[in-house]
Amino acid sequence: MFELIGIPPMLLFGQLMIGLINGVFYAMMSLGVAIIFGMLRIGNFVHGAQYMLGAFGAWYLLHLPDLFPGLGLPALGYWWALVIVPVAVGLVGAATERLFIRRVYDLEHAYGLLLTVGLAMVIEGLFNVRYGAAGQQYNVPETLKGVVNLGFMFLPIYRLWVIVAGIVVCVVTWFVIERTKLGSYLRAATENPDLVRAFGINVPRMLMLTYAFGVGLAGLAGVMAAPIYQVSPQMGQSIIITIFAVVVIGGMGSIFGAIFSGLMLGLIEGLTKVFYPQGSTTVIFVIMAIVLVFRPAGLFGKETSAFHAADMSNARSDSFLENGRLWLPVLAVIGAALPFLVYPVFAMKMLCFALFASAYNLVFGYVGLLAFGHAAFFGASAYVAAQSAAVWGFPPELAILAGVAMATVIGALFGWLAIRRQGLYFAMITLALAQIVYFYAIQASWTHGEDGIQQVPRGYLFGMIDLDQPLNMYYFVLAIFLAGFALIYRIIHSPFGQVLKSVRENEPRAISLGYSTDRFKLIAFTLSAMLAGLAGGTKAIVFQIASLTDLHFMTSAEALLMSLIGGVGTLLGPIVGAVVVVTMQKEFASLGSWVVVVQGAAFVLCVLFLRKGVVGTLEEYLSNRQARRAALAVADRPETPRAGAAS
Amino acid sequence: MTSSAWLTVRDLEGWYGESQALHGMNFEVRRGEVVTLLGRNGAGKTTTLRAIMGLLRKKTGEIRFADENLAGRLPEYIARRGIAYCPEERGIFASLSVEENLMLPLVVAEGGMALPDILELFPNLGERRASQGTKLSGGEQQMLAIARILRTGARLLLLDEPTEGLAPVIVQQIGSVVRQLKERGFTVLLVEQNFRFASKLADRHYVVENGKVIDTLDANDVAANAERIQKYLKV
Repeated sequence: MFELIGIPPMLLFGQLMIGLINGVFYAMMSLGVAIIFGMLRIGNFVHGAQYMLGAFGAWYLLHLPDLFPGLGLPALGYWWALVIVPVAVGLVGAATERLFIRRVYDLEHAYGLLLTVGLAMVIEGLFNVRYGAAGQQYNVPETLKGVVNLGFMFLPIYRLWVIVAGIVVCVVTWFVIERTKLGSYLRAATENPDLVRAFGINVPRMLMLTYAFGVGLAGLAGVMAAPIYQVSPQMGQSIIITIFAVVVIGGMGSIFGAIFSGLMLGLIEGLTKVFYPQGSTTVIFVIMAIVLVFRPAGLFGKETSAFHAADMSNARSDSFLENGRLWLPVLAVIGAALPFLVYPVFAMKMLCFALFASAYNLVFGYVGLLAFGHAAFFGASAYVAAQSAAVWGFPPELAILAGVAMATVIGALFGWLAIRRQGLYFAMITLALAQIVYFYAIQASWTHGEDGIQQVPRGYLFGMIDLDQPLNMYYFVLAIFLAGFALIYRIIHSPFGQVLKSVRENEPRAISLGYSTDRFKLIAFTLSAMLAGLAGGTKAIVFQIASLTDLHFMTSAEALLMSLIGGVGTLLGPIVGAVVVVTMQKEFASLGSWVVVVQGAAFVLCVLFLRKGVVGTLEEYLSNRQARRAALAVADRPETPRAGAAS
Repeated sequence: MTSSAWLTVRDLEGWYGESQALHGMNFEVRRGEVVTLLGRNGAGKTTTLRAIMGLLRKKTGEIRFADENLAGRLPEYIARRGIAYCPEERGIFASLSVEENLMLPLVVAEGGMALPDILELFPNLGERRASQGTKLSGGEQQMLAIARILRTGARLLLLDEPTEGLAPVIVQQIGSVVRQLKERGFTVLLVEQNFRFASKLADRHYVVENGKVIDTLDANDVAANAERIQKYLKV
């Protein structure tokens, strides 16, 4: 036999085969995500959970007699599952659309993303509570057991079946959408849903069916995956972010792009495993970054009209709630008293996350960029600060500065890549880029994988103040927080900040006024990354550890949740949100694995019922009251000449 | 006059968000008529059509069609009652071929025009069936936008500025199409700024300003009142 640049062919073909199998699943999943995104404008983050539901559905059907012993149900095997489960998962999807997703169609993309993140957390959390991290075994059906000899390798029949069936499903879906009457309704409704309704077509129902179909595809992929991968609650979580990257690479609104990129990226991932194993987890995200540089719209995407920025701000700039000069001393006083009311460590956690959320809010609330990867800056800074303090012996202030420098560099790079796209794409891209950092930290030796960098010394501030004294540490953190708060206030209320707000409200107009808005966005993004790094580095010194949790996408989601609970685009909102979320996490810590479910439910409830957030709602009340008073004042003074009343 | 009204719009008010666009529109259309809404940009003509079609959500007042109040109904329901809409921006779908565009609207009643008849009316479309919808010229796109609503069996057509931005020869063609539609018994509610075009087609004109009808002219009165109309439409 031949050898290819020192690689035994068995290994090469074996990995290519695994890559192709993965590619088939990527294609089926990203097809569903692309269809749902095209039609509903929803970034369906819950797609991974629905895939997991499919796999569990197959497993349940097989274990019907054990699950319901009294009913005398038969065990339904693979072929039954292949028919029943996608339909059942599709029905669950239809119900999900009806109950939840329909409510956010007319809202900013951020809400749809948060809602589906929340739903994913609830579903995956519930399965995690029941089944834990252990995977369930699902055997290959009898009829598909065995292998075929291809001459150069042995191919299990089941894998051959997955490849053929998966590709057939993709091609049929593509055909239905691109070449049939039903597909023409779908394509037309993607372009102009209102007009399609005016032609007598029930678009809302079509949206529900589309969602159900996309979700059903995920369910089908789950059934097909069950005999290959372990059936576990985590199986969807690990795939969904990759799927988002595949959709970005394939290109906006391109069904073919999703299928093609899915298959190709699976193969490329397989090849990477052979030639450069360390890179196999990140190769897809790196390719995404490269594609973004050269073809921002994706390989097969058409450049469509840009999404507008997400204007979700609830603030009135003249309100006293936005007056940083007033609130800085108030926060200083509250902060000074705090360690005497709660545990200093708990108070420091609040401060770190309040700073983190405020940094996030700078780019999300004030510029309207839906970033979803701030964990990268927070975590990278935490790791660098921890490493420099623990291994290189930096004093704490320098360790934090080193972390901040790292976060700033990464922020500038990610920002440069991501600002090419807006809206939901911006979220997907920042999320995928952040995954590069996450996977790097899993693999690099200095980050110690799952353990993280532990026992980071707090050290002596400026060589003299002992930070192992809790109060010393606390007031140092408070000083950092207040400095960060003041800086953010300064940024927002500078001429630079005014330009940022104008970008949020109407980017084309800001451009036509001569502002190079991309540069402003990039600077704001970098500043936000820098401040997130400040929070992350400080956190590493306080808790004396940097771990994968800091880099996990849930940390990014928490920043978004805190901003939302508190009030997006308000000065105090993220701080209030951080206090609420950190307190909630502490109170619910005793619930164990239920925490994820509770937190997911909080996401969903916030999106459905508390969109303005605590501070935003208060702001609204104040502004209504002011308006009422103004109206009363006018009514009380009839002698005033009413010059403007006639107009 | 009211006895045989088919579409009656009464006290229609409509809003885009906070700003009110319609301030009490009143007019009616009888079966078989061609009626125009004339007026300047921003007068509320397009908004009125969107309101009738159910595309403008925030509205009050009555839109009575064939003895049924359609205000508050959804667009897909209204379409199925037999009203078809040709929007100002034409709404040709870029991701659909000419033929797919043509076949897109749902057939809502019997008696729609057969495809050969439509292609006879618009010969260009037949030649270009397989092209992408938006690759057509502006005039052809307008033809396509009108053609596709003739298939559906809807008898009331809402045409929003079908002559806008088109060459005079195409405007004439569209004029003759509208005349043929009238002969075939279609009822047409036409929004226009081009009064010369409208005056040759319509049975009645309503002049719209600031979201309400400020004057009504029958086709016979037009010649005598040319100056008055010019004054209404002058920018």
